[in-house]
Amino acid sequence: MNIFLYLDENTWFHRLDSRTKILGVLLLFCMAMVFNHPLYVAGFALGLVWLAAAAKALPNFWRVRYLLFLLVAFSTLLWPFFAKGPTPLWSWGRLQVSRESLLYAIAMGLRLASFVGAGLIFLSITTNEEFTQGLIRLRLPYPIAFAFSTALRLVPTFAGAGATIVQAQISRGLDVESGNIFQRAGKFIPLAVPLFIYAIRHTNMLAMALESKGFNPGAPRTWYYDPQMRRADYLVLALLTALFLGMLSLRLQGYGQVLPRL
Amino acid sequence: MGAAISLQDLSFTYAETTRPALRNINGHIEEGTFVVVMGHEGAGKSTLCYSLNALVPRFFRGEYCGKVLVHGVEVAKARIAEMAPRVGLVLQDFEAQLFSTSVELEMAFGPENLGLPRDEIEQRIDRYLRFVGLADMRRREPASLSGGQKQRLAIASVLALEPAVLVMDEPTTDLDPIGREEVLSVADTLRQERRTLLVVEQDPEVATDADQVWLMREGEIVAQGPPRQVLTDLDLLERCGVQPPPTLALFRALNWPGQPLTPEEAIALIQQHGLARPRPLKVGGQTADGRPVILDVQDVDYIYPAREVEALKGVSLQIREGEFVALIGQNGSGKTTLAKHLNGLLKPTRGEVLYRGRPLQEIRRTEIAHQVGYVFQNPDHQIFSNTVREEVSFSLKMAGLDEKTIRERVAEALEVVGLSGYEEEVPFTLTKGERQRVAVASVLAAQPEVIILDEPTTGLDYRHQRNMMEMLRALHRRGHTVIIITHSMWVTAEYAERVIVMKDGQILLDAPTRDAFAEERILAEASLRPPTLLRLGNYLGTSALTQEAMVEELRSL
Repeated sequence: MNIFLYLDENTWFHRLDSRTKILGVLLLFCMAMVFNHPLYVAGFALGLVWLAAAAKALPNFWRVRYLLFLLVAFSTLLWPFFAKGPTPLWSWGRLQVSRESLLYAIAMGLRLASFVGAGLIFLSITTNEEFTQGLIRLRLPYPIAFAFSTALRLVPTFAGAGATIVQAQISRGLDVESGNIFQRAGKFIPLAVPLFIYAIRHTNMLAMALESKGFNPGAPRTWYYDPQMRRADYLVLALLTALFLGMLSLRLQGYGQVLPRL
Repeated sequence: MGAAISLQDLSFTYAETTRPALRNINGHIEEGTFVVVMGHEGAGKSTLCYSLNALVPRFFRGEYCGKVLVHGVEVAKARIAEMAPRVGLVLQDFEAQLFSTSVELEMAFGPENLGLPRDEIEQRIDRYLRFVGLADMRRREPASLSGGQKQRLAIASVLALEPAVLVMDEPTTDLDPIGREEVLSVADTLRQERRTLLVVEQDPEVATDADQVWLMREGEIVAQGPPRQVLTDLDLLERCGVQPPPTLALFRALNWPGQPLTPEEAIALIQQHGLARPRPLKVGGQTADGRPVILDVQDVDYIYPAREVEALKGVSLQIREGEFVALIGQNGSGKTTLAKHLNGLLKPTRGEVLYRGRPLQEIRRTEIAHQVGYVFQNPDHQIFSNTVREEVSFSLKMAGLDEKTIRERVAEALEVVGLSGYEEEVPFTLTKGERQRVAVASVLAAQPEVIILDEPTTGLDYRHQRNMMEMLRALHRRGHTVIIITHSMWVTAEYAERVIVMKDGQILLDAPTRDAFAEERILAEASLRPPTLLRLGNYLGTSALTQEAMVEELRSL
């Protein structure tokens, strides 16, 4: 199974420096926080969809369509009970829903979906190594960045081994689907022990292979991927910052809010 | 030419063990020679490899005496990172060596560590990917490559460091025949470039091409010399747990002149001395047609949900009571997918699998374990208990049997696999061969009628392979139906009664063993070829499957 979301396309967005991508996605996250009026947030979400289309990231949106839908649906259903507004629509004992809280709920659903969307665009245009490289350029020490990227890389490997282990134990009669919670916890042992041992063996082998290829985290090294900040990068960052500040000032003037909260 | 490697009285004992892994190793390898190291499991072959690039004693600590010089540099005094540009090491487990998200980054990792400038790295990536024939794969994800391609990438990523000496520890063990050929042809090109090459290998046919063969036993080198000298000492090979060259063993048994190490040499000798006259091969082996059907696969398609790849296409197959079947074919041809349908681990996308007339999907999981047992390739994917007894009794406890029955069944299963008396041992501390047996015993304890084994001999040395297969033969004699998935052609030839060849999710050939191995052209389509002995047998027209039977058949001519 492929858990990486990177899509190997060659769009203008893919070619951006990884620092731009990291800072850019952080700015997008901030922007998603600015408004809480559903129309404004929807406008922002549409903008993200356009961005995704331009970066050819829509296939990933399709992959997580259920998740996106659930986020919006649950948020719309649940938020009204937690946010209070002045115009009551419906009430039952202490529970009440107001017009504003309903709108706010829709906005929150769209906001959550926007978070996921912005993250998806980022993961669709950034490889694991680029991400690491970006972190290093943003002054994260190399050993930490390397550990981080290797951990990411090992997730699918261990997931694959885990799937095999489950199958092996099922063929020996392990019934993972029945029993109460304590019985189920006991059944976890035949799965967890081999996985731990596999992880230890695998990591040990990997360490041997890395050392054999001259890996030395403390020593100076060179980079094959050598990202450069170009004019386009500065332009993108400037544009996004300007957009964020513009949105912020609109909000401070009272636009795009249904309730006076985040 | 100077000495590339010089080993002087090297001994090494791993920390926390008492038995030395290497004992007084002496050896001398000239620059540009090809050395093959052979020996049984635990003979010290891997330790020898590690001692050449300072993994021993830097990564693996222990008691170290003696001296290893690689191009004049004393290994024990260098750091591993310093040795990397001098000695490249390729490990058996290619999965564990690849960790980048693209082929080119995998290649770049070594040169980056050396601190090479960007355009130099670019050149090396280009040069060595072309060298191993992966130039078109630059942007691919390593996980999406085939086994042979992965191992070639692992070799190329080590070559990118441009080491003067390349060491490969069983680089072909986990590969199908085509993957083996791919890797061996890379080794061949390296030889032509006169690079120093040290390869640990099990197959005597590979060793035939070497300049020198080193034979190891219990941490010592017991023979060193050209292949014609070392590989012809059959008693010594036997004692070292190494498979003797089958053609040579045959010639010895028949008292024929000459020392052929390959079928080609054997055929030349036979023609030269007029030892036997080739005749047309009579095929038409026995089939199990009359017996009741146990497993019935009816027109099964299977599509992996995540990848949307069609892994099986219209497969129909009947397994009858008491058969011994081998499933062979390339990696990714659908063997394992098919086998996992036979015990209901996978549900067909279309079609049905019946166990004695009942659809497998209707049988409860815990019950299937007592009818169709499945032993996975890697025993470490299932061993979790503190004692062998607990491990083997797992499926019985799951089925809720009483203490006494469990005790009896465990004892019986352990006896069958030859591990009586191991009840209280800790399974994790056993050797690979023994762990494999524990895994088999734990499946056997449920007393399934059918037992399926995925690669039962991979990763075992010749002696353990023989033991494992003899055990399966004994099970078969007791009435079990045995199905194995295997890469090993000689294992298939000597033990299976029926061969099913898979290619691209379809059955390419389904025939009694001897008939199947006579079809060299069809086998080649599936990137397979008959084992050494049967290639000679196909030439001579003998219908025997083992060396003993072939000797008898040729004598009676």
